Amino acid sequence: MTLPPFASTFASLAVSRRSLLAGAGASLLLPATARFAAAQEAKAGPGGTPKAGGTLVAVLDPEPEGLVAGITISAPAVAVSSSIFDGLVEYDEGFKLRPSLARSWEVSPDGTVITFRLRDDVTWHDGKPFTSADVQYSLLEVTKKTHPRGNAVFANLIAVETPDAHTAVLRFSRASPVVWAAFNGTETQILPRHLYEGTNPLTNPWNGKPVGTGAFVFKEWLKGERIVLERNPNYWDKGRPYLDRIVFRIIRDPASRAAALETGEAQYIPLNPVPLADVARLKGSQDIKVETRGFEGPAPMYFFDFNLRREPFGDIRVRQAFAHALNRQALADTVFYGLAKPATGPVPSYQTQFYTPDVPQFEYSLAKAEALLDAAGLTKGPDGVRLRIDHIPSAYGDDYRRAGEYFKQALKRIGIEVTLRNYDLPTYVKVVFTDYDFDTHSAWYSAYPDPQIGVQRRYWSQAIKKGTPSSNASGIADPEIDAVIEKIQTEGDVEARNALIRELQRLAQVKLPSVNLLELTFFRAYSAELSGIDLAPFGGYQSLKTVWLGA
Amino acid sequence: MARFGITLPEGRVLRYLGLRVVQVVPTILAIVVLNFFFLRLAPGDLAEVIAGEAGSATPEYMAMLRQQFGLDEPLLIQFVKYMTQLFQLNLGYSFRNSMPVLDLILSRAPNTALLMLSSLTLAVLLGILFGAVSAQWQGRWPDGVLSAFSTVGFATPLFWVGLMLIVLFSVELRWLPAGGMRDLQRDYQGLAAVADIARHMVLPVFSLAFFYIAIYTRLTRSAMLEVQELDYVRTARAKGIAPLPIAVRHVLRNALLPLVTMTGLQLGTLLSGSVVIETVFAWPGMGRLAFDAVFQRDLNLLLGVLFFSSFLVIVSNLVTDLVYALLDPRIDIR
Amino acid sequence: MSLDATTHVPLAAAERAPARAPASAAPKKRAPRTSSFGYRFLRSRTALAGGFGLAIVAGAAIFADQIFPGDPLDMVARPFIWPFTTWAHPLGTDMLGRDLLVGLVHASRVSLAVGLTAAGLAVFVGVLFGALSGYFGGWVDQVLTRITEVFQTMPPLVFVVVVVAILTPSVSSIILGIAVTSWPQISRLVRAETLRLRDAEFVQAARVMGMGHARIILAHILPNAISPVVVAGSILVASAILTEAALSFLGLGDPNLISWGSMIGSGREVLRTAWYMTALPGIAISFTVMALNLLGNGLNDVLNPRVSLT
Repeated sequence: MTLPPFASTFASLAVSRRSLLAGAGASLLLPATARFAAAQEAKAGPGGTPKAGGTLVAVLDPEPEGLVAGITISAPAVAVSSSIFDGLVEYDEGFKLRPSLARSWEVSPDGTVITFRLRDDVTWHDGKPFTSADVQYSLLEVTKKTHPRGNAVFANLIAVETPDAHTAVLRFSRASPVVWAAFNGTETQILPRHLYEGTNPLTNPWNGKPVGTGAFVFKEWLKGERIVLERNPNYWDKGRPYLDRIVFRIIRDPASRAAALETGEAQYIPLNPVPLADVARLKGSQDIKVETRGFEGPAPMYFFDFNLRREPFGDIRVRQAFAHALNRQALADTVFYGLAKPATGPVPSYQTQFYTPDVPQFEYSLAKAEALLDAAGLTKGPDGVRLRIDHIPSAYGDDYRRAGEYFKQALKRIGIEVTLRNYDLPTYVKVVFTDYDFDTHSAWYSAYPDPQIGVQRRYWSQAIKKGTPSSNASGIADPEIDAVIEKIQTEGDVEARNALIRELQRLAQVKLPSVNLLELTFFRAYSAELSGIDLAPFGGYQSLKTVWLGA
Repeated sequence: MARFGITLPEGRVLRYLGLRVVQVVPTILAIVVLNFFFLRLAPGDLAEVIAGEAGSATPEYMAMLRQQFGLDEPLLIQFVKYMTQLFQLNLGYSFRNSMPVLDLILSRAPNTALLMLSSLTLAVLLGILFGAVSAQWQGRWPDGVLSAFSTVGFATPLFWVGLMLIVLFSVELRWLPAGGMRDLQRDYQGLAAVADIARHMVLPVFSLAFFYIAIYTRLTRSAMLEVQELDYVRTARAKGIAPLPIAVRHVLRNALLPLVTMTGLQLGTLLSGSVVIETVFAWPGMGRLAFDAVFQRDLNLLLGVLFFSSFLVIVSNLVTDLVYALLDPRIDIR
Repeated sequence: MSLDATTHVPLAAAERAPARAPASAAPKKRAPRTSSFGYRFLRSRTALAGGFGLAIVAGAAIFADQIFPGDPLDMVARPFIWPFTTWAHPLGTDMLGRDLLVGLVHASRVSLAVGLTAAGLAVFVGVLFGALSGYFGGWVDQVLTRITEVFQTMPPLVFVVVVVAILTPSVSSIILGIAVTSWPQISRLVRAETLRLRDAEFVQAARVMGMGHARIILAHILPNAISPVVVAGSILVASAILTEAALSFLGLGDPNLISWGSMIGSGREVLRTAWYMTALPGIAISFTVMALNLLGNGLNDVLNPRVSLT
């Protein structure tokens, strides 16, 4: 087995990683499980020595709005943009940080100062040098002001100082461990100050023809058809990238995407590649690989929300009845074709540093469900119906609509008649998150690498934000839960904080504002000719600089 | 559409055109005004789409987006602004696509035109052939087979035909590409590029034509049957002219008139594209552009597409009327 | 299905619309089609075949609850059972284990209902507009014709999609969307017929007798204009069924009711692994649409052998 050239990069990391671990926030991210070790091996493994050259055709859906993920954070935008831009750091397969634009970093003992030492050999694609001024501008003017999550995650960031061109000092009003889950290039990108300063970043024309520091240079965007990137010959990570050219194609129909892959017209589909039903078939194919690793960062968690503003959902027995009536294993097996596993709470089991299985569970039992409903006074009428409600499934794909059909039939068995309301995305956002006009609702949210970004927004009363997608839709406002969440935000001690996160999981199952259903498994599909696929936790969104053709 | 009782051609073409334009302007205006307000009834807006695609957003971010898109202004002001732009022939800006609407439309329209015109041409040619054969052997087996074929074509869901053609010819036989308009791995130039696009067109063009053939087959068939009974055809037959020359020279030529009308009527709507075929074959055309604009609440774009396609419908109706009159001077444009 | 943008022209109308031109160009003395007994026989056989096919579908719709009692959406068996593999579920099951035969039979209700209601609505509005427009002429005609033109000028499928998106997908919004885009065809047809009839002797006689406008339209004009409308209407039903299927394919079906369109909509994702799930409702749609087209064409010949529309 030949070591890829980037192995040396890992070695050089030792020092900076130690200094990182000294910091308060850094050690939040340590879940090195066996599964990741396997990933590491796979990466260096069977592919052999990377070969340079060739054009990779990748498939996107839908077409992104812009190509700068620091500004447009939709999944397809990130999937393209991460090859054009870098972040200060990256994740490795073990969820540990590794350098990117920052060579190393230190955190002050009280956690309020983070110092990044930047690479001095990086230039923007237009030839201008990359400096700490770009970092300052990007964090303060772009991430804090125009990133949809940025001003929440970086709420405590008060200043970015630039003592020299290659040092950036971030000052926080108080320790913010959570920012370590957001410095990577798929979340917080560093943009060229010289092209953005003095403009409104949202409308800057460079969003459509981006200039980054990344492995690939933007070449052409033919709307509705293709986005073309070319190899950056001056990339700082010497030897990379391997591909000469990447062409992203837009294909809206899932069956047509599968066909493009099977005919060899496309080699890589990073997101939502083919219908779930096709996965088993594609896995059996010699020419196509299906990779489920690389989505531990987004960590999609699927759940069933009650609208607590409406009766009878104020009654915990009714909510428990629903939890008993939904067969999560069957849901995972039929609707999600086995690409999911039952969740025990709001935190995915693979985030081992946070996860606890030791919380109340609701086994599948129609008898218990009916008994609870009877006890709550919801008895069956002469037509066998005890309750009529509506349900809005997530608008992000057909799988979730099919899950809605599953809930409808499952709940019918305990005398609950469900009317499904399928909406397009804007209607869904408006009805569920602005008007709160629903009885029940099912969706997945990203749990993200830190529950403070992903999980708390489902349970915190402050996350009831009218008009904001993926916020607290159930309307849960529980003082006990709020207290724990607020302690998580300020606790500097990692172990104490993790204990609080475990307590949050317990409370989530006790108060049950929503039924935690499944840990979803997202996947990528690609041609067997492809090697060097990044298996890091954000791998599905990450730069294609490690990828090469012709295995 | 209403036609005016003006006899052509006797120098009255201009007057006719003038009258039509006077009638057409209010129609187009009505379409724009109606849709401007109608489309705003849709729940949710572009800010919600963008926040939804991002998976999360803060309320401040949403407010900033709305301000950027001009959605925070009172509806009437938005309307006045839009109409002012429109009178300067400016279709506005598509915020979802970060591009002027007109540029977007002009970049897609040729693709749609290519696809639709090819399908229509193929359908007209095959339809005429099938229709002529059917009429010639009326009631016998070729008629039966072709009628059955066109009935099935007309009754089969288009996406089903498209997807099955992909499975057969792309995935199983690997003869033709499954979608898209170009081979993006190889950068073909010149003639090779033309051949490449032609290869990508085969399946979508046939899927669409399969549907249209029915219309033209039946049209030709019934028109030919009708013309066959006319006096001058009978005279020709009585003169002892062979059946095939009669069919081609007399019958078919006259039967073409209704085909012109039909084709003209369809031409206008062609550029709004086929949403379904463009979806199945990932064809970068106007149909999909309009469809996506609906779900992304990209109202400027949708209004632009509606405006553009209405304009084309009207123009092509006009041209059809004129061509018709020129082809057959006996006809009154009514 | 895809009475997609380009194609909202029913076959019979397509066949007839242009026929007017040669008719005025060279008026015929005889009606050639009716001259041959054999031809007429053939054509009525067409109508008969169409009617028979439609009767089967209507029978399934009416007696669905007797043939297969219970909820067609129930998950009754293992998912992905292929057709003709077990007697318990002769046509197999879908990806959630719902019986496809039961589904097909029950779905005929919604599909037919969508087709009939949408066509009915379109015919109602179209007849109203067309009759008023043709009968009164003048500014009434001008205004109504302009309105018709506005609706006819918008690309039909895009417009249906807009209506359904605004009202959110449900059977009623689908029906409304289809009706809104198809009434102008009927309106033009009726307007032309009315124009032709309003100066006819019997109408003039009625006018002389002092009959009111409403009565003249209802009692004299419409009954004489109705046969092309029936023909066009039967084809509208077919195109409405196809449009519903197209909408479902595009993800705009009603999830609470089972229709052939919604079956195709849910089956399209597994098209590559289990094509029978879209093929079976697809065949049902083709069958019904063919029956309706045959019926329409047959009726066209039987009812108005010499119609000229315009």
